[in-house]
Amino acid sequence: MNLLLEVNDVSFNWGENDVLKNLNLDIRENELVSLLGVNGAGKSTLLKCLNRILLPELGEIRALSKDINEMDLIQLSKIMSYVPQSVRSSFTMDVFDVVLLGRRPHINWIISNEDRDKVSNTLRFLNLENFAFRRFNELSGGERQRVIIAKAIAQDPSIFLLDEPTSDLDLKSQIEIMKKLKELISNPESPKSALVAIHDINIAARFSDRILLLHEGKILASGKPIEVLTVENIAMVFGVSSSIEWWNDSYIRVMIEDEIKEKD
Amino acid sequence: MITMDPLSVQHIEKGKNQLIMIILLSISTFLLAIYALGQGSSSNLDMWTTAKILFGIDDPSDLQSDIIWKLRFPRILMAVIGGVALATAGSLMQGCLANPLVSPLTLGVASGAALGAALAIVLGITIVDIPNLGIVVNAFLFSLIVVYIIIQLGNLRSISAESYILVGIAITFITGAIVSTMQYFATDAQLSQLTHWSFGSLSRPELIDVLWIGVVVIGLMPQAIRWSWDLNALTLGGDDFAISTGVDPSVIRRNILVLSALMTSVVIAFTGLIGFVGLAAPHMARQIVGNDFRKLIPCSAVFGSFLMLFADTLGRTLFAPIVIPVGIMLSVIGGPFFMYLLLKDKGVKS
Repeated sequence: MNLLLEVNDVSFNWGENDVLKNLNLDIRENELVSLLGVNGAGKSTLLKCLNRILLPELGEIRALSKDINEMDLIQLSKIMSYVPQSVRSSFTMDVFDVVLLGRRPHINWIISNEDRDKVSNTLRFLNLENFAFRRFNELSGGERQRVIIAKAIAQDPSIFLLDEPTSDLDLKSQIEIMKKLKELISNPESPKSALVAIHDINIAARFSDRILLLHEGKILASGKPIEVLTVENIAMVFGVSSSIEWWNDSYIRVMIEDEIKEKD
Repeated sequence: MITMDPLSVQHIEKGKNQLIMIILLSISTFLLAIYALGQGSSSNLDMWTTAKILFGIDDPSDLQSDIIWKLRFPRILMAVIGGVALATAGSLMQGCLANPLVSPLTLGVASGAALGAALAIVLGITIVDIPNLGIVVNAFLFSLIVVYIIIQLGNLRSISAESYILVGIAITFITGAIVSTMQYFATDAQLSQLTHWSFGSLSRPELIDVLWIGVVVIGLMPQAIRWSWDLNALTLGGDDFAISTGVDPSVIRRNILVLSALMTSVVIAFTGLIGFVGLAAPHMARQIVGNDFRKLIPCSAVFGSFLMLFADTLGRTLFAPIVIPVGIMLSVIGGPFFMYLLLKDKGVKS
């Protein structure tokens, strides 16, 4: 499988605080990769560096074998779409027009009927057709999150970068969105991949092809969920003791027992 | 035959309905302009007679011709063009700073223009040594200089919308203090001239001035509309969302601030301070076309013209032969109307 994204020795700091330290990773086509780590581990920072929202001090990021710093933002947004944790909206728009923004990198000014149909199909794909002409600000947090994911899908990128895309969703919607995402990524005729920052270990294990554990600015472990989500790794990254049960290599039950106290 | 998705068809239909509303508003504005041409303190003509004179169907008397073409036409044209410029600049500024309380005068354009005018009137410091033109050129240049300083200082702090607004407020206080100091030491005549300048009036520019202003404003409009997509992305989700949609917020914000400042200063340098249109017209337009800047900018422009014409006509006819400056009339009639618009949708987020 071809590499869609390569991150080589990327470092980023906020002032004195080193968030990412010589971080390396790669993502191949048709791969859904989850990024797990504690709050402040640098998950969001990494996603923002990949999308050039933040500029790393050191290192190189290549998308579709090309250095992202050599692309303009329009070119980059045709390759990657980013779903932020939340969308701060000063003014509202119809949901259809919000999703239509995903077509922005592909059009000059005039909207074609193909672009409209692409938006309509995406809304139907995520079961949002009944929301199409409702105002974005009048939706619940979870509905808004689904609309922003729809915008990212309508952007038709090769790489999805999603920052906690299920954090505002109810249980059923979490499963539904991840299934839809998996369906998009798994299509062998369409070389796409996704990097998803997520907190829910169960969801990550269920849907990820690979899990990256981010710890102290570096990738501590990378591999299939069953290889990475071990009692030892969870203890080291999250600072909790646990016991784990697996079914069919992808269904996990993590029982958190207690926090691990640091020894003096 | 290719059939379109029903949702796409509904989107097209909604867009068409909004376009029809904009066209109807434009026709109303045009009719109001004809009515306004016929109204004044010296002679009132009905709309039909005015239209026939305007389109050369009737030969007017010399007096009628002078009143319409020399006195009222430049003023009406200035109302239309000034309304377009201030309302467009207002919608652009609200969009690029993602703040519904922003108007074209927020970021120091007004305080810069006032500083330029005060320097010319009180201290006699002018770039062009011709009495009235000196004030105009000073007001224009100083408003742009102040905006330039704000952009540079805003960039030093960060490129966020908030830093531009905060630096703008600080600079407005500083220039305001300088103007107040000059007012304190000004003679009564100078103080009166400066106060009258600050009221904002459409009677000052000559026809040739208005035509030049029109060329600048019409020349800048296509670029303003071209940035609609970028503004949609900026206003909906902020800088991170905009970048992920292919928009560079720092570049687009700086460019829009410069364009808005140009549009505003070219008008207020001639007319004096006219507030409110730039704040209210975009909000009124939002009631019809929503927040999609592809439609919001043209709709705001038409609303701006309508508001200016309406306020000016009322100001000229309400207490005729006394003419109340358009700046004052706009605040008198616009404030309560704006309040009504905001409160009638209470509970609905902007």
